Amino acid sequence: MPTIPIVILVLFSAVLASVLVVRPTITVSRAGKILAFGVLFFLPLFSLLAGMGNEMQRSESTTFCLSCHIMEPYGKSLHIDDPTYLAGAHYQNHRVPADEACYTCHTDYAMFGTFRAKLGGLRHLYIYYLGTPPLPQDIKLYKPFNNRECLHCHLGARSFEQGATHNADPATLPAIKANTLSCISSGCHDVVHNVGRWGDKVKFWDGGS
Amino acid sequence: MRPGESIGRRLRISGILVIIGLLVEALCLVWSKPIAFVVLVCFGGALIGLGILVFLHSLVSGLPHTAGSCGTDHEKK
Repeated sequence: MPTIPIVILVLFSAVLASVLVVRPTITVSRAGKILAFGVLFFLPLFSLLAGMGNEMQRSESTTFCLSCHIMEPYGKSLHIDDPTYLAGAHYQNHRVPADEACYTCHTDYAMFGTFRAKLGGLRHLYIYYLGTPPLPQDIKLYKPFNNRECLHCHLGARSFEQGATHNADPATLPAIKANTLSCISSGCHDVVHNVGRWGDKVKFWDGGS
Repeated sequence: MRPGESIGRRLRISGILVIIGLLVEALCLVWSKPIAFVVLVCFGGALIGLGILVFLHSLVSGLPHTAGSCGTDHEKK
């Protein structure tokens, strides 16, 4: 549900509630009682749930993640004009939805993964506002990147299953699928965001959304 | 204080809490910063929830005390 209709609903509920505050005697009648129930129970609850749902949806957007100052270089890395940069290549070629680029790769594709991702987000907020946020280049993942997140899309894809490098050694593909060999390990797809290590020669693509 | 006045007062308090909570929610919805979600849940949600609880309490406390009052009268006798 878009934001504007929810805001209108919320304000409408507030206006109706103010009528009850000014004239609580209208609840004497049966219609007044029904109105009070709608205005002081049903509408606020519905507005709150709709608002929270909207915020949860918005927290998955790329703009939401990049609205924190500390994340700016990571947003910039999505525009690096070099296909070896994994995040940029995925973003620019729409291998991930451009408007949910961060969330698509950094969520947890397991049971309660979305919930865990939101809890992780709250942890970010805690560190950002109440802790000591690290420099962008010093940000590390809480735990090593799980291949499951890559395989959510790539598993079964011809380019992955029949890729020359993936099949050079018969043990490679099973190791990737079992998460014992990381996709982003050294020598493979190890250039992801590389914030702080771009150098002077890096170019940026000015297209995309 | 008469029961009617008490219910009216609770309805007012409930309405004020709900209104403030809804206004906080509206502000959070147009405030596109990550902290808005926390403010929405911690302040907006808490105020709305409290307002609803006060309203429900006013409903329960506003019920006629027929059975209870009979018992009290009986005990007095």
